[in-house]
Parts: sequence; structure tokens; C-alpha cells
Amino acid sequence: MSNTILGYIPLLDLFFLHLGLAFSQWIVLRAGVFSLATVGLAAIGAYTAGIIATKTGIPAPLGLLAGAFTGMAAALLLSWPLARLRGVYQAIATVAFLQIILSLNIYFEGLTGGAMGLNSIPKSVGTLTLFAATAGTVYLMVAITHSRIGRAFDAIRQNEAVAASLGVSITGHQALAFAISGALAGLFGALEAYHSYALVPTQFGFQYLIAIMSYVVLGGRNTVLGPIVGTAILILLPEIARPLAEARMLVYGLLLILVINFLPKGITDTLVDMLKARNLARRKVAAETAETRS
Amino acid sequence: MLEIDRLEVRYSGIEALRGVSMTVNSGEVVAMIGPNGAGKSTLLNAISGIVPAHAGHIRLDGRELTVLPAWTVSAMGVLHVPEGRQVFADLTVLENLQLGETCLKSRPRRTTLTDVYDLFPILRERQAQLAGSLSGGQQQMLAIGRALMGSPEILLLDEPSLGLAPVIIAQVFDALRALRASGLTILLIEQNAHLALQASDRAYIIDQGRIVHSGASADLAQDDSVIAHYLGDLAGA
Ligand SMILES: Nc1ncnc2c1ncn2[C@@H]1O[C@H](COP(=O)(O)OP(=O)(O)O)[C@@H](O)[C@H]1O
Ligand SMILES: [Mg+2]
Repeated sequence: MSNTILGYIPLLDLFFLHLGLAFSQWIVLRAGVFSLATVGLAAIGAYTAGIIATKTGIPAPLGLLAGAFTGMAAALLLSWPLARLRGVYQAIATVAFLQIILSLNIYFEGLTGGAMGLNSIPKSVGTLTLFAATAGTVYLMVAITHSRIGRAFDAIRQNEAVAASLGVSITGHQALAFAISGALAGLFGALEAYHSYALVPTQFGFQYLIAIMSYVVLGGRNTVLGPIVGTAILILLPEIARPLAEARMLVYGLLLILVINFLPKGITDTLVDMLKARNLARRKVAAETAETRS
Repeated sequence: MLEIDRLEVRYSGIEALRGVSMTVNSGEVVAMIGPNGAGKSTLLNAISGIVPAHAGHIRLDGRELTVLPAWTVSAMGVLHVPEGRQVFADLTVLENLQLGETCLKSRPRRTTLTDVYDLFPILRERQAQLAGSLSGGQQQMLAIGRALMGSPEILLLDEPSLGLAPVIIAQVFDALRALRASGLTILLIEQNAHLALQASDRAYIIDQGRIVHSGASADLAQDDSVIAHYLGDLAGA
């Protein structure tokens, strides 16, 4: 029994690591920015933490902080030129950013290990740390959702002009969303570095980007539950149906096409909408029966 | 006082406003009437900073607004109820109203949530409901309530009667009458001339980006020829 549970530990770790990045992606989408920078920012955090661990004596917790900090700083820098772009142009610019990060990685071989990657990073992060980081992240996302800032994010995403005319600073809030996204990406990148002994440059590539985006699109973009459900399904699916694991990217691609066509809001958002509509109908019926009685 | 001086607005070269000058005094309700495409919405969008002015000035109590970004214009108390309501459909009624407070910043609060709910009781009933599930009339009330939450110095209303049934229009204009009685300064955009003239102190008529006529609303309402000339069958019933 305990053996079977232990067998699932690596899967659980993977779930936490990916969920953190899914929230990094989720928060920018929430604020109306079509950024695909999360994986690039995660690479920055991962390499910062990895270099600190292999080249200096700085303890792991500080390495994690440094990862989060560099991720946030890079995101803030990126948000500045991105504020002038919208929609698909933001997506293109952020994919270009990812390419630049990958190239820099090769260029600064002395520091990053280049194509060979960064090896023999001491493993200092286990399931418990990952769980704590993920739980903290979920808490932060829920808190933001119910705050003035979360409402401003929603307003910007739904109607930028009206949001601005109500006094919401678009650039300010999108920079804030970016900073949070960058800090999360940097932190979870650093966690990945301290969890897996080694980093290779191809790790933070286009496939990773597609996977993270799939979690958010499949799960839903407007509720905190969305990325959790999306990540859980897409991480578990290849495990349940082993043959699918071979064709993971193919399955993700097909699912994305299906979801975008048939559940454009994602699984949880669609369910939440359905529940709300049902409650509303029930309340209407209740009100009408009360009316006819009186 | 809101003062607009020879304002010009262009959309990629096309002139939408060609030197509009007008004033709205404190405590006044001023109507801007004109046919579709005359430039009415453009005027309000320029005042609230959503579209840039090509030339001319917009001043609120002497302070130039044309140089300010949109999100700081509302901080000065200029609040815009956009054409077609444009409530945030995925947020609840209450969340929409709370967003209206964003622009309060350093100004004192003069309108409270209770005031808005007293003006539009249906919003209190529906406060937990998504704004997208409201009827058109309720959404119009929400859009007005959302602007009121920012304690406006001046309220800019873009065609509040648009697409609403006569009974609902009457309700919305009852609320406007109450706001007027409370001394709120309002710039009211309308296609329905009779409705607008009844609800205002003064009025301007705009056509093809120019002010073509202005005067006391009571006088204009008497003068059928002016309205018929500039507005044709848009004069409204
Ligand atoms: N975003 C825009 N881009 C280009 N042209 C526009 C835009 N908005 C309005 N216009 C044009 O400007 C003119 C005035 O439009 P508008 O201010 O919406 O008029 P009204 O509100 O009086 O109906 C119209 O000719 C319209 O086609
Ligand atoms: Mg208009």
C-alpha cells in the first residue's frame, strides 16, 4: 500500500512544480496580458538558483528567494515594452523573449554550462517544500481574486477603455500582474533546480510553454480552481492511459483544440457558470411561487 | 465648470470633431443632441481621455484635461457612463459598483453604496448576481450607479435611453431627475431630442462634428423648426 503511494510521489512533485508555473501564466492572462513569458522567466529563476547553489555557498532558501527576485525583475523589465503591444503581438514578443533566454543560456556557457547544462546541483527541495510553496501560491491567488486588485485585473481584461475611465491604471496593473507572474515563475523555476540535480537548456523550451498554457486553457482562466483542475487532468492523463504518455504533446494539442472549440472558458469556468445559472433559475422559481402564494 | 474650447478629434485622419466649443456650468444639466455619427460619443470619449484630442482644450475648473491619461481624468471627478452601458458582465453587480470607487483616491466620498441602492432598488436585490445576467435597463442603472460610486463632480451620460423600452426609459430618466434635483452637474448625450430637452437646462445641437445650434432647453423645445431641421425624424416622440 505505502509502496503504491510512494510510487506517486514523483508525480505529485511534478504536479506542484507545474501548477506553480500554471498560476504564473494564469495571473497575467487574468489581467488581460497575452504573455507567453512564464517558461522563460522560470528559466531565469532556475539558472539563478542553480548557479548560486553550484558556484557559491549561499544556502538554498536564499537561492529560492534570488530565483523569485530575478524572475520578478526580468518580468518588470519585460512589461515595459510589452505595455505598448496588445493581443497576439504580446504573444509573439514573449515567444521572442523565450528564444533570447535560450540563446543567452548557450552564450554564457561559463556560467550556465551551455548546452551541457548545469549539473550536480545539491537536492534540497522535497515534496513538503513544493507543497508549501504551492499552498502559499494558491492562498495568494485567492486573496488577489477577492481584492481590489483582482477586480481591477478582471475589469481590464473585460474592457480596457471602461476600466481606464473608472480610474484603473492599465500599465500599472499589468506591470503588477507581470511582477507577480515573474516572481512565481522564478520561484518555481528555482524549486525545479533544487529538486532535480541538473538543468538543461532545452528543458525550458516551447514544449514546456505549450504544456503550461494547456493547463490554464483546459482548466479555466477566471477561477483559481481552473489551473488546479487543468494541471491535475493533464499530468494524470498520461499516467492512467500509459500508451498516451508516448504521445503526450499530441494529446495536449488535440485536447486544446477540443476545449477551445467546445468549452472555450475551460472546464471549471464552464461548470461554475452552469451552477450559477441553475441557482439563478431556482431562485427565480422560488420567487415566482412566493408571488403566486401571496 | 467644464469648458471645451475649439476641440478637434481625428480618427486616422478623419475629422470626427471640427472645433467644438461648449460649457457646462456647475449644477447644470446640459444636453448634447445630434444624429447618429455626429460625434457625440467622440466628444465624451475625448473628455474622459479615451481618445486623444488633436487640437483645442478641455478644462475642468481651469485645469487642462487633454494632457492627462484616461485613468487620472476620473480621479478629478469626471465620470463617464459609456454608450451601450458596458458593464463588466463576468463580475457581480456589487463588484461592478465597487470598481466605481477606484477613482476616489484623494477626493472625499459624497455618494455611498446605500445612496446608489436607494436610487436603484433593483440593484440591491441583484447585488450578488453577475452583471451579464441583468436586463438592458438594469445594466443601464448599474452603469450609472457605477459612475455615481466615484462621487462625480460631473457625470457624462452617453445615450442612456439607447435600446430600452419606453417604461424603462421613464425609470432611468426619473433617476436622472432625482440626480438633477440633488444638484449634480450632468452632460447628457441623446438622440431622442424631446427626452433630452425635458431633462436639461440648456442644450447644444451637434451635426457632423460641429455645434450647429444652442440655447435654453425650454426655448428649443418650443422651436419645432430647429429640431426638425437638424434632427429630422430623430426628434423623438
Ligand atoms: N474608433 C473609431 N475609429 C474610426 N472612426 C470612428 C471611431 N469612432 C467613431 N468614428 C467615426 O466618428 C464619427 C463620429 O462617431 P460618434 O462619435 O460615435 O458619433 P455619435 O456618438 O454621435 O453617433 C462617425 O463618423 C464614426 O464613424
Ligand atoms: Mg454615440
